[in-house]
Amino acid sequence: MTPRKRNDNGVLVLGGGITGIQAALDLANSRTKVYLVEKSPSLGGRMAQLDKTFPTMDCSI
Amino acid sequence: MLDAGRHPNIEVLTNSELIELGGSAGNFRAKVWRRPRYVNEELCTGCGQCAEDCPVVVPNEFEVGMGARKAIYSPFAQAVPNTYIIDRENCLNSDFLVCNNCQKSCDRDAINYDDSGKVVDINVGAVIVATGFDVYDASAIPSYGYGLYHNVLTNMELERVLNATGPTQGHIVRPSDHKVPRKIAFIQCVGSRGEGKEAGCQYCSRFCCMNTVKDCLLIKQHAPDIEEVLVFYIDIRAAGKGFEDFYRRSQEMPELKYIRGRPSKILEDPETHDPIIFVEDGETGKVSRIKVDMAVLASGAVSAESNSRLADVLGIELDENGFFEIDTKYGSPLHTLREGVYVCGCAAGVNDISDSVAQGSGAAAEAERFATRLPEEKEPKEKKEIDTSGPPRVGVFLCHCGINIAGVLDIEALKEHAKSIPNVVHVEDNLFLCSDEGQRMVQERISEHKLNRVVAAACTPRTHEPIFRESCDQVGLNPYLFEMVNVRDQCSWVHTTTPDKATAKAKDLIKMGVARSKHLQPLYKNSIPVNQSVLVIGGGVAGMCAALELEAQGLKVYLIEKEGRLGGILNDLTRVYPANLSAFELSRALMEKVEASRIEATASTEINSIRGFVGNFDVATTNGNLKVGAIVIATGAHIYKPGDEFGYGQFDNVITNQELENILHDSRDKIKIKGETPETVVFVQCVGSRDPEKNSGCSRYCCPTTIKQAIRLRESGVNVAVLHRDMRTVGAQAEEQYRRARELGVKFIRYNDERLPEVFGDGGRARTVEILELALQRILQVDVDYVVLAAGMVPNEATTAKLHDILKVPRDADGFFMERHAKLGPVETTIEGVFVAGCVSGPKDIADSIAQGSAAAAKVASIICKETVELEPTTCTVDQSLCRACGQCVEICEYHGPSLVELADGRRAAKINQALCKGCGTCASWCPTGAIVALHFTDEQIDSMMEALLAGVV
Repeated sequence: MTPRKRNDNGVLVLGGGITGIQAALDLANSRTKVYLVEKSPSLGGRMAQLDKTFPTMDCSI
Repeated sequence: MLDAGRHPNIEVLTNSELIELGGSAGNFRAKVWRRPRYVNEELCTGCGQCAEDCPVVVPNEFEVGMGARKAIYSPFAQAVPNTYIIDRENCLNSDFLVCNNCQKSCDRDAINYDDSGKVVDINVGAVIVATGFDVYDASAIPSYGYGLYHNVLTNMELERVLNATGPTQGHIVRPSDHKVPRKIAFIQCVGSRGEGKEAGCQYCSRFCCMNTVKDCLLIKQHAPDIEEVLVFYIDIRAAGKGFEDFYRRSQEMPELKYIRGRPSKILEDPETHDPIIFVEDGETGKVSRIKVDMAVLASGAVSAESNSRLADVLGIELDENGFFEIDTKYGSPLHTLREGVYVCGCAAGVNDISDSVAQGSGAAAEAERFATRLPEEKEPKEKKEIDTSGPPRVGVFLCHCGINIAGVLDIEALKEHAKSIPNVVHVEDNLFLCSDEGQRMVQERISEHKLNRVVAAACTPRTHEPIFRESCDQVGLNPYLFEMVNVRDQCSWVHTTTPDKATAKAKDLIKMGVARSKHLQPLYKNSIPVNQSVLVIGGGVAGMCAALELEAQGLKVYLIEKEGRLGGILNDLTRVYPANLSAFELSRALMEKVEASRIEATASTEINSIRGFVGNFDVATTNGNLKVGAIVIATGAHIYKPGDEFGYGQFDNVITNQELENILHDSRDKIKIKGETPETVVFVQCVGSRDPEKNSGCSRYCCPTTIKQAIRLRESGVNVAVLHRDMRTVGAQAEEQYRRARELGVKFIRYNDERLPEVFGDGGRARTVEILELALQRILQVDVDYVVLAAGMVPNEATTAKLHDILKVPRDADGFFMERHAKLGPVETTIEGVFVAGCVSGPKDIADSIAQGSAAAAKVASIICKETVELEPTTCTVDQSLCRACGQCVEICEYHGPSLVELADGRRAAKINQALCKGCGTCASWCPTGAIVALHFTDEQIDSMMEALLAGVV
């Protein structure tokens, strides 16, 4: 594939909850450098606080 | 979470925030402030000794204040990173006081009280805002007494109470006396759908209904003796994939009662601390006081307080609710007003998890446009692999899963038992094996004890096996030498009431796991070249968006459409809610973009056949053949065609919302239906939806569509009534539009399943609609000029069935395609390299379909931006010397894996294509000569498990 234009640029993802992690992983898996910035001391966001998720009742972690 | 922490392309900066963003799309200059942590991330191992020795105890915000933590702490057991942090506001060390306990206890010397943080400069091409939401502060509604009464909790607090790792270890007790409550009430819409100023937000928070339904089911599990659970609600909004079935399942719980009504206030019995709920029953109008043991407020979501500051930094705007404003001109929920800055999840408005995940992927695809790809790793670094030729040295690791496992099973007994099994050289337990610290422990033990087999007795391999395999791989142990025993789902969860038997069963399972592990063989992934092009099937809004996104990333894209032109359902709409965009303009804009791009779009084209596998699909269409590496299915859905319900087909003036849409399309000012201006129009909701016989799910789009049409009619002077079961106006602006419709005088009348509305007429025309008015229990008769049926969405049967046959993507009970995971993999399927977007996997509106189109593009990109793809080695293989070419495997395989080939000696034998084989083992069990072996499930492995189980029994 043709390497694309512009500088040697990554993507800044603000927020380390489920949405931010998903965005970061998809970018990283497409060989893009990601800076994942989270204001609290750990990743996880709200979802880590939940017990199970509906409707599959999977563990939230 | 752990994946993100481990990914080589992701740099995680926690305890940090963006403070400046200069430059423009493709060339942003960001400044990120890393707040002081006072603990060196590189040195801290997360051992926790410092927290043991810290003298300060403060409320734990992760437990919503219900638990305690120290001033130096790790937020929760599975935190990533697991570096500790000092909360300096509560730390004793100050200018005048010296505690230094943590510094003294840290043998890695990681504590630095003088840490002052630092600013890092980062150059990026794009920014994704995924900062989420805040929970509504229920104490803002004084009449509910939250914070005042002991036994009034919020849903987030209940969530922690129900959690096995939470402050009560999953036992439901009420705060005032720690007794198990017998009667619990949920109050919905706290802070959502508010009417007054202090009542919170006007919009619907979308997640709380389903969260309550889930909690009700969990309460029953955690406290089987519960007497009564009451849910006070306005509408139950089960508007998402599988949600309606889940809601229906909860209605089968005899203790659970749904009561329509919004409580006016809660008081507390001063002696017993029982909350007393004052509520008017929305159906009977009866006002009652209901005493319960515990009340749970279903607090909604509000925009994060930090949004306004971040908006300033980013140079973008907030909307009237404080969420980041979306540039609606794209019809997409992901664009902000600044180019190169995208927003997803709850930062832009309330969304549930699956939509947030899809939006996260979608934003990733958008951001890719402004990013540069890192060079492909050519050769994986040579790893030293652990020698497995010697006798098996098995390590057994037991996970407590908080109390999910350890609360029922006797861990000490299991450990003793595991130690007694031959070849087991090490046994160890851990609170959470899946935590960073747990995984590191496993890795260290592999090296220390020269383990060449690892058995984890923990939760389900479905979600956690990959984490363990990856950890083994990192330290050189072949990942297929790892065996997982599910003692949670199969023992502690299902045999909670008989812990002894559960422990005995776990012992058997561990014994069997160890036995199998000894026969495991290292397996190696093969890689095959990837064709770096993609086929998008379906030229509707989701398909076009996916195609455009992929093309923008420089990939070769083919887009095929069955109909004569692109556009899909947009061609049949007039205006698209919520921004009232013209459907025509939107579809024209997309079509023009497709036209101007290098996408090879062909209309009037259908699929004949698809052969092949991820990276290498051979597609035959009615318009020639293609070779592609991945496929996106975006073939949409159909609108349900009513049978004879509500006089459809019998009376001319009973039409569907789709037919009305066409009429509105042609009407300019005064609305005329078939030449006449109607006086009264009645809408009937849920036609062909939420009906277990036809389509069990909620179609989601119809309520907002009805509102949109009702407003249009009402504004030109028509009397409008909407007959409904629940108004499900979820999504951006939907609740606000619902309110507007009511203000304009649209009447909303509820009906229930027992008594559906009836349409009467004569001479081919409907004249009246009869409906049972629930509050007064009397029949209302409405004279009508038109009846509009809000028809739900059903799968496009012919296309879906055909693609299911060709590609083997599973279908759900309603016939839509099934995603890999309803929450975590909304655009992936179980077939590698095949993705879904839009309504083909279930009803969605335009905005959600666009987000899914982008999300599918991100997933495709992650496969085909690489030159090769790795194949799972857990497949079946044929010992051709034993094969007699009977061909039964060829017939039986669903995935076209085996075929008969001619060998060098002229004999014929079966051969299995490793890329097509899913490793299901059907052929192996069927093969009459035993020539086929399922590589990760050999007869030897299975037999060893049986022998271990039956040893001493027979």
